[in-house]
Amino acid sequence: MGSAPTVTTKITFLIIGIIVGALIGYGLGYATITPREVTVTSTTTVTYQATASPTPTEKVKLIVIGPWAGAEMEAFQQVLDKFMEEHPNIEVEYRIYRAEDLASVALPQFEAGMAPGDVIFTAWGWWVKEMGEKGHLLDLSGLVNPDEFVSGIFDPVTSGGKIYGLPFTAWAKPGFWYRKSFFQAHGLQEPKTWDEFLQLLDKIKGISGVEAPIVTGDGVGWPISDVTEHFIITFGGIDMQLKLASGELKFNDPQVRAVFENYLVPLLEKGYFSEPIEWTKAIEEWWSGRYALYFMGTWLTGMVEDPNDLGFFPLPGCEGVVMGTDYIFVPKYTEHPEEAKLLAKWLATEGQRVHVGTHAGKFATWLKVSVEDHWAPMQVVYEKLSKMKPVPDLDDTVGGDWQKLFWDQLKLLWVDPGKLDDVLNTLTENFPG
Amino acid sequence: MTSLRMSPTRISFFIPALILILVFVVYPIIATILLSLNINPIPGTEIVEGAPGLENYVKVVSDKRFLNPKGVEQASFPMGAIVHNVIWIAIHLPLTLVVGILFAVFLQYVKGGSIIRSFIFLGMVIPMIVGGLLIQFSFDKDLGVVNLLLKASGLGFLAKTWTIYPDTALFSLILGSVWLWSGFTVTMYSAGLSSLPREVIEAAIVDGADFKTILFKIIIPMLKPVTLTVVAMTILWDLKIFDIVYASTQGGPGGASNVLALLMYEYFARLGDYAMSATVATILTLVVIPVVLLWIRSIMRGGEG
Repeated sequence: MGSAPTVTTKITFLIIGIIVGALIGYGLGYATITPREVTVTSTTTVTYQATASPTPTEKVKLIVIGPWAGAEMEAFQQVLDKFMEEHPNIEVEYRIYRAEDLASVALPQFEAGMAPGDVIFTAWGWWVKEMGEKGHLLDLSGLVNPDEFVSGIFDPVTSGGKIYGLPFTAWAKPGFWYRKSFFQAHGLQEPKTWDEFLQLLDKIKGISGVEAPIVTGDGVGWPISDVTEHFIITFGGIDMQLKLASGELKFNDPQVRAVFENYLVPLLEKGYFSEPIEWTKAIEEWWSGRYALYFMGTWLTGMVEDPNDLGFFPLPGCEGVVMGTDYIFVPKYTEHPEEAKLLAKWLATEGQRVHVGTHAGKFATWLKVSVEDHWAPMQVVYEKLSKMKPVPDLDDTVGGDWQKLFWDQLKLLWVDPGKLDDVLNTLTENFPG
Repeated sequence: MTSLRMSPTRISFFIPALILILVFVVYPIIATILLSLNINPIPGTEIVEGAPGLENYVKVVSDKRFLNPKGVEQASFPMGAIVHNVIWIAIHLPLTLVVGILFAVFLQYVKGGSIIRSFIFLGMVIPMIVGGLLIQFSFDKDLGVVNLLLKASGLGFLAKTWTIYPDTALFSLILGSVWLWSGFTVTMYSAGLSSLPREVIEAAIVDGADFKTILFKIIIPMLKPVTLTVVAMTILWDLKIFDIVYASTQGGPGGASNVLALLMYEYFARLGDYAMSATVATILTLVVIPVVLLWIRSIMRGGEG
């Protein structure tokens, strides 16, 4: 009992001592380390001062993250190929992340001081701004001249005099797409009034082999919110869309409810809309003639066999069209900030010229790109859309958890229109702020 | 007994494992609990916003996504994630037990039973995220095998995409999970059956016992230890169910198939609200602990017996 401790005992005590010491050290650190400061900023006007990013002298590899797969990815790859051709010292690898997946993955990585990519795309301007305000993104002010872009396009990503995202090409969600050949074969015409629209739906429903007049795209939920917003803009006006996005108007307000009750719900109850079908599968089924109409964005033009067979019409009386863009941002934690900024700047300018010339079905937001630079089928769409006023996407503007709720509640409304009041009340009660 | 005494030498062998457990198990658990109480467990970060206390627990419990009293009262979906988890257990557990034991007994006496068992076990081999997509396809109106079977059996009027309707979304996921989980129960019961003393069953046959009597009076009682394990593992699996729901319905429509683990994920990944996410995780742990304790107790009793 009273013998001297053995070597093993000493080692044991030494290790225990290290652990205890580490714990005490941790505790002291906990008590003394100053928490990282979070900068809270407010929106101000940004002045442009051109800055140039140097071309690297050594070979650098950048990771670009975007939401495009399939045909959309092929179109975007052409843009990256052009960049690599012009900048042989920069290799670019493209990786796919949907906006909702990116939001899940990127935030924890940012918190850990890491970045999943060097240049990243997302359609969620609100998210870019939020990440910028948390200090995770590089300030891209000065890289481009905002006056050379579509007016107001920097607003969602600007905060405290800093621009956290650059706009890429834009899309629009203009109305119901149809196949010209299908309409010709069945003697159908674009409607000019709401009554004509209803008559059109009735006629389509009577066509043999047609499952439902309008196919409903599904996925995480955005296709359903797009068509809903189109009804809001048509029958409630652009003002209603803007007020709903800002929270000035509640979803259970009688005038909003009237739009749903008088126009959307009757169509759902009569079975004019199909059950929600995964949106790319819905394209195939609509194209095969199982459905006649499909409410979708302009990128649809690049996803069909023959874009010249495509026609579209907005709901009669609609004056606004939802437009949006994909924003480019650079995480603060990139290992190649200068090269990443160089790529971001190129994508927001010359890259747009390349992209709109592909089958991507997009418009340029950089005003130095001419109509003639666009892919021919998109020039026709552009012509038709120029008569409508651009409106921001409602759920992309609000963002956050409410966006997912909006999608989810609309899915519920689609399969159970009788729950209209529940849906509107839920959307109102959970609206942020 | 002297040889079992813990000498410093022996203790030193535990230390590496102890360090790993402390760092990767104990600390995260403590950190999660602290976080749920709005106490910052990571110095130098600002992941906690509110004052220390039970505020997050109040917020979670009063969140309709966690518990929807109106839905429960009217017996209509959504009823809240915790109720959905309970419904999941209430349906999935008995079904999976029945399927497991019946298939195990049946396949024991069928030629080529081991091959069929392998096919059943496929459900367990498939990643659950893929399983979720398979469930979604299985219940699709046009492509789904479930609706094809319904049509073939003259019940075509029931054919619809089950996962998109609030009244059927949760049930379709539960039924799908029975298929995915049955591989486990069949394998467990098959292993249990092969270890039963054959002379007991043969004696029953000699005494004139029919199959029903042998099954209910001999096989099932003798498989009690296996059943306890299957019950505990199934309840734990049902409580932490996530990937199936995430891949197939995302908890919708209208939250009709939301579950606790998905709610935890939404707080974490969607909102970046780590404290609220930790609160749901802690509640989930509190719900799981009694099940684990009962299981351990039953195993120890079995061991003593």
